[in-house]
Amino acid sequence: MAAERIPRELLLDVTRFLKRQGVDYADVRFERVQHESFVVQQQQVHSLSVEETAGVGIRVLFRGAWGFAATPHGGAPRLKRAAAQAVALAKASASVNKQPVKLVPVEPARATYRSPYEIDPFSVPLSKKLDYLMWATSELMGPQAVKRATAHMDFYRRTKFFASTDGAQIQQVLLESGAGLEVVAQQGNEVQLRSYPNSHHGALAQAGFEYVKRLDLVGGAKTIQREVLQLLRAKPPKPGLTTLILDPTQMVMQLHESCGHPTELDRVLGQELSYAGGSFLTPEHLGKLRYGSDAVTIVADATVPGGVGSFGYDDEGVPARRVELVRQGLFTGYLSSRESASRLGLPSSGGAMRAEHWDTPPLVRMTNVNLEPGEATVEELLRDVRRGYLLSTNKSWSIDDKRLNFQFTTEIGREIINGHMGALIANPLYTGITPQFWGRCTGLSNKASWQLWGVPNCAKGEPMQLMHVGHGAPYARFDGVWIGAAD
Amino acid sequence: MIGSTRLLEELTRLAARSKADGTSICAQGQGRHVLRFAYGTVHQVLFQEHITVTIKAVLGKRVGVASTDTFDRASLNRTLAAAVALARHSPNHPSLPPLPASHQLLTTEDHDAATAQAGPEAFLPSLKRLFHLCQGAGASLAGSCAVGEDELAVVNSAGVACYAASTLTGAKLVTMYRKLSGFSSRVERQVSRLNLEALLETSLGQCLHRQAPITLPLGTYEVILEPEAVAELLMWLGSIAFGAKSFHEKSSCISGRIGEQVMDKRITILDDGAHPDGLRMLFDFEGVPKRRVPLINRGTAAGLVYDTTYGHLYGQASTGHGLPPDDVEGPQPLHMFLEPGTASRDELIRGCERGVLIPRFHYVNGLLNPPEALMTGLTREGAWLIERGRRKAPVTTLRFTHSLLDALRHVVAISKERHRVADPMQESGCAVVPALHLARFKFTGRSEDA
Repeated sequence: MAAERIPRELLLDVTRFLKRQGVDYADVRFERVQHESFVVQQQQVHSLSVEETAGVGIRVLFRGAWGFAATPHGGAPRLKRAAAQAVALAKASASVNKQPVKLVPVEPARATYRSPYEIDPFSVPLSKKLDYLMWATSELMGPQAVKRATAHMDFYRRTKFFASTDGAQIQQVLLESGAGLEVVAQQGNEVQLRSYPNSHHGALAQAGFEYVKRLDLVGGAKTIQREVLQLLRAKPPKPGLTTLILDPTQMVMQLHESCGHPTELDRVLGQELSYAGGSFLTPEHLGKLRYGSDAVTIVADATVPGGVGSFGYDDEGVPARRVELVRQGLFTGYLSSRESASRLGLPSSGGAMRAEHWDTPPLVRMTNVNLEPGEATVEELLRDVRRGYLLSTNKSWSIDDKRLNFQFTTEIGREIINGHMGALIANPLYTGITPQFWGRCTGLSNKASWQLWGVPNCAKGEPMQLMHVGHGAPYARFDGVWIGAAD
Repeated sequence: MIGSTRLLEELTRLAARSKADGTSICAQGQGRHVLRFAYGTVHQVLFQEHITVTIKAVLGKRVGVASTDTFDRASLNRTLAAAVALARHSPNHPSLPPLPASHQLLTTEDHDAATAQAGPEAFLPSLKRLFHLCQGAGASLAGSCAVGEDELAVVNSAGVACYAASTLTGAKLVTMYRKLSGFSSRVERQVSRLNLEALLETSLGQCLHRQAPITLPLGTYEVILEPEAVAELLMWLGSIAFGAKSFHEKSSCISGRIGEQVMDKRITILDDGAHPDGLRMLFDFEGVPKRRVPLINRGTAAGLVYDTTYGHLYGQASTGHGLPPDDVEGPQPLHMFLEPGTASRDELIRGCERGVLIPRFHYVNGLLNPPEALMTGLTREGAWLIERGRRKAPVTTLRFTHSLLDALRHVVAISKERHRVADPMQESGCAVVPALHLARFKFTGRSEDA
């Protein structure tokens, strides 16, 4: 598809064609994604790539059944062929379904949305980006124990145009920037890893190049080089029940796995059973189940500045919203779509429908699932801990298909003794049961220490879609958590 | 699907047009119909088609990579120009290997015309009947079916011109009855070989029981891992242990241990992209023919897979395990085979005094401590306690945390039947594995109701 422009009139023509086919509803979504990715390893360019993808996804509801077809071809005949194919698929589906899909209403919007930024990263010279990555990796290298030093930058520009048979016409441009470092050290049988400022490419924000500049990769490189060498000699934690303080770089994954996924209403309705699983947060628990302690309030907020789960409108034209999932420990809400909200009798969609690309249908996805901050300073959180650990930066993650039993490891930990930070610990692992764990949350740090990170690889759906979602969190303290060592 | 003639012509034209010293082009095309369903309703029916063309341009020792999914001349030319521009700005890569030369392969052996033309109508009549059968049994059904075709072409300026077309279909079924659930899946090259009713029977066989699941004390148990469970562990092991990159970075559990006994002598693992029992792929994304690579030979660490970059680093030829040019994971074994044993699956169960039967795992993670191959994950559908060789009772969800290396050092028996485990949504990646009876497997946690 010609990548330079949005074929607006052609797309509107497709909505008119679909109306003439007698569909209940249809939407047509053009999307173009430009992605620049740079990886420098051991002071050599490991990967330098630009990617561009553009096409149109057409979603049709016919006699209460969905059909979806997508095409990278931009001409009118190919678009109409894809539209007809979507209708045919919906008809085939309708021949089996007994319960027709219904959608909660949404006001058809005519709008334009652009995510804010200061410096367009695509305008920054390549040499400047590479020089910065080279400089950062040079700071990681040196000691013989350092076996791998990697630095990366990623930039995305998503241009979307959404039109529906209800009359919506929405154009959006979303810009993301991210960067980070990873260092691996080895001595004898011991191998340790540190990332900065977060692992799994989590330093990703809806922002321009100014975000990368603020990350201070060079300063961070010195810190994680020192830490990874110390970790080679560090002891593991003592196994047993203890008090844990998780910093925001680990809270990202804790929120993602144990709150974000189980509140996706399509999972609750069984639509992910053959792949990602179900959820323990079934509808009879809504408004009744104690998900956590009174300190715990979790929101899905697509309006947070800088969050990679932020947007003007979701991929079915619903305006960005802030939805409370957990209020003062009580389970109060779901991430939802027009269809899933209707199935549960909710008055409106939670505005959480997004597709990875033009060739995939939108699914219920996390937006920015954030833990609201508390009142304490980080020092005050620490002060009450007689013996415990502070854990940082996710290393591995695993949770059961209902999202109850989880187990995480982090890259690094520190002992806490009588309110003070102690020695580094290596290979910490902690585990728990979701509502029990959140029920033991005894303190949250304040807004000043609250951090917003990204998860750029949230997998869901068949075919699998990888989504960028955001998580904001303060430091959080949990009592009576089982900790062990991954060694 | 574009087809071999046009695809190879266009990519060859592009490589010839390139002003780079070397140009390698990889094109991956896919068309899929995917149907998903839950509780008697089809909630997704889709058709998607796309092609991704990735171009690697080499200028001296400098490299740039660009990709597009628009297959027209203007986009391809623009992408080539972007790759060359990136290479021009890239620093020198002193150990850059030359592009692989002169391999020419063309295969459509695994392409079935009827499967390529099939759509949801291939599944819907059977699905109606499955819904009906489940309703009759008082069970619920969820799952997915997929059918489609794939093509892969690799062309480079050193004379490589490879093309493969194939078809793929498969289904996954989850059945639920009271507090139990069952699962079955199958992947085939031909849609005519897919038998949804047989899959339903397997899945229902795991859950149509009146017994409530019991909670087992945590600890170390014997386990019988069915092929789906074995495959997930093996594919994780492949990604963290058998690629030359993880070996080079010392994060592999066989780093520095080639020739050493690391597993039970009955364990032989190899990667074989050309074996017809797998999802055959005759060449890699660099256009190098795939070699059969022994990874573990009778329990001994035997080898690694290489691409051109890591082959060059170790003075070895590429084994044909390169990934697309924009990938940074290094060479990977994508067609793993675990050699079978002599017992039947039923004999494995009969030979188990007290253990857990596990059809498949959920959410395995092998990043806990890769040098030890320490992994965690959970049981899912169909896990049963076995006592004195018989299935005694279904068990609630258990979490294991155990070194796979240690688990494979304590093998009791291996089944003679093997299954191909793969994802019907994607062409590359499969494991052909038997069931395993292991003497020790550590369960460290369990799920509890909210």
